[in-house]
Amino acid sequence: MHEPELHDLSDDADYAASIQQGSASISQNESRRQSTSNEPDGAEIVYTKDNVTIHPTQYASERISGRLKLIKQGNALFMTWIPYKGQTSNARLSEKDKNLYTIRAVPFTDIRSIRRHTPTLGWQYIIVVMSSGLAFPPLYFYNGGVREFLVTIKQHVSLVRSAEDANVFLVNDFQSPLQRTLSSLELPRAVPVANVSSSTADHSPSSADIERLESDKSSASFNQNSRQRQKNHDPARDLSIQVLEKFSLVTRFARETTSQLFRESHLIDGFNPNEGKKHGQSSASYNHIQSSIDSPKYHDEVSVPSDPIEFDKISLVWGKPRQSPLGQQEWATFLDAEGRVMDSKALIKRIFYGGLEHNLRKEVWTFLLGYHAYDSTYAERDYLMSVKKTEYDTIKKQWQSISPEQAKRFTKFRERKGLIDKDVVRTDRSLSFYDGDDNPNVYLLRDILLTYSFYNFDLGYCQGMSDLLSPILYVMRDESKSFWCFVSLMERLGPNFNRDQSGMHSQLFALSKLVELLDLPLHDYFKQNDCLNYFFCFRWILIQFKREFEYDKTLLLWEVLWTHYLSEHLHLYVCVAILKRYRNKIMGEQMDFDTLLKFINELSGQIDLDATLREAEALCICAGENGEASIPPGTPPSLPLEDASVYPQLDDDVL
Amino acid sequence: MASSGNKNINAKLVLLGDVATGKSSLVLRFVKGQFVEFQESTIGAAFFSQTVAVNDATVKFEIWDTAGQERYHSLAPMYYRGAAAAIIVYDITNQASFDRAKKWVQELQAQGNPNMVMALAGNKSDLLDARKVAAEEAQTYAQENGLFFMETSAKTATNVNDVFYEIAKRLPRLQQAPNPSGMVLVDRPADRATGASCCS
Ligand SMILES: Nc1nc2c(ncn2[C@@H]2O[C@H](COP(=O)(O)OP(=O)(O)O)[C@@H](O)[C@H]2O)c(=O)[nH]1
Ligand SMILES: [Mg+2]
Repeated sequence: MHEPELHDLSDDADYAASIQQGSASISQNESRRQSTSNEPDGAEIVYTKDNVTIHPTQYASERISGRLKLIKQGNALFMTWIPYKGQTSNARLSEKDKNLYTIRAVPFTDIRSIRRHTPTLGWQYIIVVMSSGLAFPPLYFYNGGVREFLVTIKQHVSLVRSAEDANVFLVNDFQSPLQRTLSSLELPRAVPVANVSSSTADHSPSSADIERLESDKSSASFNQNSRQRQKNHDPARDLSIQVLEKFSLVTRFARETTSQLFRESHLIDGFNPNEGKKHGQSSASYNHIQSSIDSPKYHDEVSVPSDPIEFDKISLVWGKPRQSPLGQQEWATFLDAEGRVMDSKALIKRIFYGGLEHNLRKEVWTFLLGYHAYDSTYAERDYLMSVKKTEYDTIKKQWQSISPEQAKRFTKFRERKGLIDKDVVRTDRSLSFYDGDDNPNVYLLRDILLTYSFYNFDLGYCQGMSDLLSPILYVMRDESKSFWCFVSLMERLGPNFNRDQSGMHSQLFALSKLVELLDLPLHDYFKQNDCLNYFFCFRWILIQFKREFEYDKTLLLWEVLWTHYLSEHLHLYVCVAILKRYRNKIMGEQMDFDTLLKFINELSGQIDLDATLREAEALCICAGENGEASIPPGTPPSLPLEDASVYPQLDDDVL
Repeated sequence: MASSGNKNINAKLVLLGDVATGKSSLVLRFVKGQFVEFQESTIGAAFFSQTVAVNDATVKFEIWDTAGQERYHSLAPMYYRGAAAAIIVYDITNQASFDRAKKWVQELQAQGNPNMVMALAGNKSDLLDARKVAAEEAQTYAQENGLFFMETSAKTATNVNDVFYEIAKRLPRLQQAPNPSGMVLVDRPADRATGASCCS
């Protein structure tokens, strides 16, 4: 059952290359006498520390110890961390696995900050955050020496303490003091992978263990786990593979990710395992995490459910913790006196990470959808609204004025109206806003859709559109405004409804490319099982996950997608994130296409949106340029390419 | 699964028909015994399975419920390809849906599996007052085209199980079952002697 995942590691060309490099440096490492010979010419080792260890999983047996070095070459300072060879007797942690974590000569020019953690109990550790936003797993200094490490760095590169957090050290931070303060506000709030640590008893190292380590620096045989686990049904195994998988992404992409876009993005804020709803509020709050780290019970432990099923659900989350939604007061700070949005980029980013409080949606969605320009004033918007209201009424009159006699001779109109009538009465009727007999909001849905089908006669009405309009009307509570917002949305999503399905095909194709990039074993599995058409994701994409989440979650998801922050195609990364969440189940149960489609349809209402968004964000950043290159230009919801005609629809039989 | 001596058949079945004729409602009634007044429209497709017993054999239907709109027509072959049976649904209160049903029949006759068992279901039979399509007309059409015909109501459950049961009885003999375990569809019970015995 786990074969495909192992496959992943060994199949990866990049990985294979890294093994070679890795084993080279390991063998060098073994011959300690010539310890400098493997360094580049003219390089000087300015700092060495043994028994610096990472904790990939909560199991002590799976910790990986190694040697941390700072190397100076010319003016450049590099950091390396090479795991010891043959350190662990645990078969599950192969040399391959260890190599995934190896840090090979990272130049300090690529490092943004170092966070120091000095708990009163337990080991000190650091988290190194790259300017790409990616971070290496926490490095535990079993022998101490964090201070020495920082002092050494400071001798060679600029290292300043963040004004905001005394434990954060900014590398090469040449910004103005003001900017520095601002940016330090946004410093990744890294939480160590050790948070994954279980509180199960087998784990806490005794002081004897540490002593033994102290006295046994060279071999660093650090294996205190005696607990036997069944190989096949071990949830921790899934967890560790997931970690490895994610780190393999880091090693694959981190150095390639040069895009300026990502320089300001902040990934790896947390490896907070307490994602599950059961653990409630802990999922995002940095303060909470911080205090749990510093709490006296055991510094780097956050309890992990002992129930294997719960455990299996845990996924290490890399994306930035979700923030609270943007509220009225904060929104006001984004506007100047005349109502212009002063910093639309900051606004977009804020919405991306937190969404909007419901009462703000009415106002802010008009910007996100592109109906209002960010730099428009209150007055300009009011004016536009009134003009557009008149325009809406004019278009609406076009079908309202069709007499019964005329309708008799106007099949297309009758059929279109019939179809819309059939759909609006079965759209979100369980919602109080749309429920009951003769609900005026149902008629509004119909009128807007029918008007749209005249506004865009070529595209017409298509099943699924009522799902897209329903939340807009629910938020806007205004007919003309809803219409124009729907028009804006359809500028991007219209191709989803192309008669030849080209818009859907191009998205499903891009999705398959992304899965191939981000989860090759899953891709291979789909390939072997004739699932590469990805039609099981059709509904997700066609109506933007409208049927997959509770109504208010859908509103949040949509505003996040509409920011187009990070990518216009975040929805595809959301697809990948969900598929990855259930990949073990899909592959483990050998689902065929039918079963998979049923399974996916039945996920409706089961998916944790916050966790999915964080993973989607992380995947998007990990994929970086490779990800964007997987998505052909013009793929919806990108605006149509210049030369493409708007809606090259053939005549429908019916419509 | 089934006790020994039983014959277990897997049969892929697809529901086709105009928008809002009640395809999803028929499946929901058959599979879960429920009816929802405001059954939401089907986006893409949905898949269900349900087993019926015919004498000493069981037929496990693997049911594909599709989106009815013409706009999604190009996706239909994906779902009816390889189907052993189809239910073509129209709404007895809607003449256009009956015309559309005939088009589906033509398409299946041209493109589908030649041994496909086809049923024509005139749904919403509870709405007698609003009837637009006469039962006789549909019956005649069905006979001429080798389909069997029933009027159904997903709402009252009239004839719903019967349509599936009737299809099960008509499935062709010795059809290779499309399930991974390679079970073989065997003869109807009356011809048991000639059928291959079921693997189990
Ligand atoms: N009166 C009545 N209404 C039905 C019946 N079957 C379905 N409906 C209604 O017809 C509408 C469309 O049904 P649905 O199953 O979604 O049709 P589909 O589009 O063909 O899948 C829904 O409002 C159903 O409640 C029926 O047998 N009698
Ligand atoms: Mg349906």
